Amino acid sequence: MWPFELGASGGASIESLWLALYLVTFALHAVFVSYVAAGTGYALIAAVRRKDDPIAARARDWLPFMLGAGITAGIGPLLFIQLLYQRRFYTANLLMGPRWGAVIPALIVGFYALYLAKAVARWRTLALGVGLGCFAFVAWSWTELHLVMLDDPGWRAMYASGARFTFDLALVPRLATWFGAMAALFAVFAAWQATPAERRRLAGVGLGGLVACGAISSAAFAVDPGAARAHGWTYLLMVAAAGAAAGWAWTLKRPAGPGLALATGATAAALVAGTVVREAPRIALIERSRDTAAHAGGVAMFVVTFALGVALIGWVVRSVRRSMT
Amino acid sequence: MNPIESTIPYYPVNDFGPLMKGLVIGGVGIFHVFLAQFAIGGGMLMWYLERRGQRGMPDARTFVDGYFRILVMVSFVVGALTGVAMWFTTIQVGARTIGLMIDEFHWLWATEWVWFAVEITAGYAFYRYGDRLRDAARLRLLGIYAVASWMSLFWINGILSWQLTPGRWLEGGGVWSGFFNPSFWPSLIFRTAVSTTLGGLTACIVINTMDLSLDRRAALIRRAARFAAPIAVMPLVALWFFAVMPDDSRSWLLGGSMAMTMFVGIAAGASLLIGGYVIVGLLLQRLYINGATATLLLALAFGATAAGEFVREGARKPYTVRDALYSTSIRPAEVAALRRTGATVADPYPLRATYPGAQLAHGAKVERVLCDACHTMRGANALVELTRTWTDDQLRLNIAKLQRTKGFMPPFAGNAEDVEALVQLLRWEHADRAADFAPTSSPEAVAQIAGWLEQAGTAPAGAR
Repeated sequence: MWPFELGASGGASIESLWLALYLVTFALHAVFVSYVAAGTGYALIAAVRRKDDPIAARARDWLPFMLGAGITAGIGPLLFIQLLYQRRFYTANLLMGPRWGAVIPALIVGFYALYLAKAVARWRTLALGVGLGCFAFVAWSWTELHLVMLDDPGWRAMYASGARFTFDLALVPRLATWFGAMAALFAVFAAWQATPAERRRLAGVGLGGLVACGAISSAAFAVDPGAARAHGWTYLLMVAAAGAAAGWAWTLKRPAGPGLALATGATAAALVAGTVVREAPRIALIERSRDTAAHAGGVAMFVVTFALGVALIGWVVRSVRRSMT
Repeated sequence: MNPIESTIPYYPVNDFGPLMKGLVIGGVGIFHVFLAQFAIGGGMLMWYLERRGQRGMPDARTFVDGYFRILVMVSFVVGALTGVAMWFTTIQVGARTIGLMIDEFHWLWATEWVWFAVEITAGYAFYRYGDRLRDAARLRLLGIYAVASWMSLFWINGILSWQLTPGRWLEGGGVWSGFFNPSFWPSLIFRTAVSTTLGGLTACIVINTMDLSLDRRAALIRRAARFAAPIAVMPLVALWFFAVMPDDSRSWLLGGSMAMTMFVGIAAGASLLIGGYVIVGLLLQRLYINGATATLLLALAFGATAAGEFVREGARKPYTVRDALYSTSIRPAEVAALRRTGATVADPYPLRATYPGAQLAHGAKVERVLCDACHTMRGANALVELTRTWTDDQLRLNIAKLQRTKGFMPPFAGNAEDVEALVQLLRWEHADRAADFAPTSSPEAVAQIAGWLEQAGTAPAGAR
């Protein structure tokens, strides 16, 4: 099934395996970083309004952990992108140069800002503002890197000019789509932690995110026909997004009802489909000629360790739950 | 040519001013290694003291809860992010090197990533819920944290040690031959000993901040100091490491390169001082160590770590992956072809600066492709200073026979015109970029260079 192809032996090609792992780990990473970016934004609004908001309080409590989880989960796609698009990824890194490297100090500052916002009420608004600024910079940088990777005709000119920023108009809809998706993902995660009364507000956040995401990405699709290469995944994304919107609408009416489960399942499906749709325009650019990578050993070790790792993480969660009850 | 299509990948080269690229990656790397190894040793120490605490040792659990917060706040955040920074920095310095490491070992990187995820999960679970957990669960979480963080070291160590001693991987032995390479075990033991030492020394600092009587702090310190004792075996492990490294690398560390020898001396001396103080002072004579002295010892350990990492990086010269990839990001097998075509013919990127004449511009491109990975023009390891006193013919000879000039330099991967263009660029720089600069090139000089390149051959000086 597109975009996954068969290899010479009849099984999945190695590139398809890398691509699948890239997409899955990227989706997982997106869940955590969406909570961080949108949660920080939500908590900042609550802090500015000086309102006691239990959703914001819970978000502040979880944000440092979620950022840690997001960074850890982000190492997976960072690994697989180097296999799929090595030359493009490295070239874009180098063209953006030290300005690209600034995402690391931005994340460090953002991380400590979240701790500060959690621990010291007096500094909360400032800390959340700084954190949100850092995360917006990181999101912008990743989006910019993505666009530079695709723009090989422009590499020479960018290098010659010494420019570290590309103020490409395509950045705006991409980033805006992301921010909408982040709000929708945050709403799902936060709603499971919330009381039925609080879920109404999160349903509004989720619906708002979906509407923004849908409107901006539809406009972008209309301008960029390359996105149509996503075939059925685009339709799956549309159906899933509609399902998520229906789930949130249901939650607005009956906060304790099954609407949240529907919104969660549909958002998960939309996330997976959306990840493929996002990737579609560059799938044709996957580099396929590196024998060393294609024939590298160790996959069995990874599979065994992955199973063990999942079991250990499950065991940790179970131990904590059992110990606390 | 489209940058994406060239057989040899040419990447855009960034200039870090007076900083040579080795300093950039060294700075990030040393910081990261120090924090990451502290997290590993700290994890082991906490499991041990939690166990002691559950068996009745007073204050041990108080220490664990306090120490863990520092570990999380420092190593989880900065340690994890500097790990990502290492990837980004390595791309800046040698994209082809990290590309080869990813290509060959990606399933093992992924394996390491799983252990890192387990480490973070167990660590955060303890951080968040530790004070509300039953004893068995606390011990279990700390045990998983300690094992997972050490497993992370285990996997990374194999990949890093492969760079210096790829062993039978070079003969087509596959990923496991490369991973369990000749320096794998000494390197792993060495890093484990450093980790426990850093964990123990940091603990001594933290214990001094605890609101306890001197006796009770001393009791904790004696337990924690045991973790710094493995530093005593480091001289033996270092000998083992020396024994398995390539002959030419060993000769540079043992006098062939004075800078490298001095760093070996700093690492060995600092380790000896720490080991002597811990074993004689803390463990045998049961002395007390105050916060200032513990901080000083930790600073010494940082110095030893920094010197050790410098030695590890430097010992690989002229390679980034021994016998597989030069520090110029050119494979040994590609040198002969570049001798014919020239080093810059496939380089798609223009120069950012302007030069008075095509030959000097050509020289600047040669410098960017073949020298910039390890040298700057006028900053650290400056080409201008290294060659300032050389005559024109000396420049031509020494560059053409580069691997004979210095054994830790790779063979020159360009043709005679490339050498001559670089020579003229250096002369121009020596003349402070004089506007009235007059090149001294001639067909005879280029022919002479071609002869020297032929004599030097394309094999490295240390080739077996």
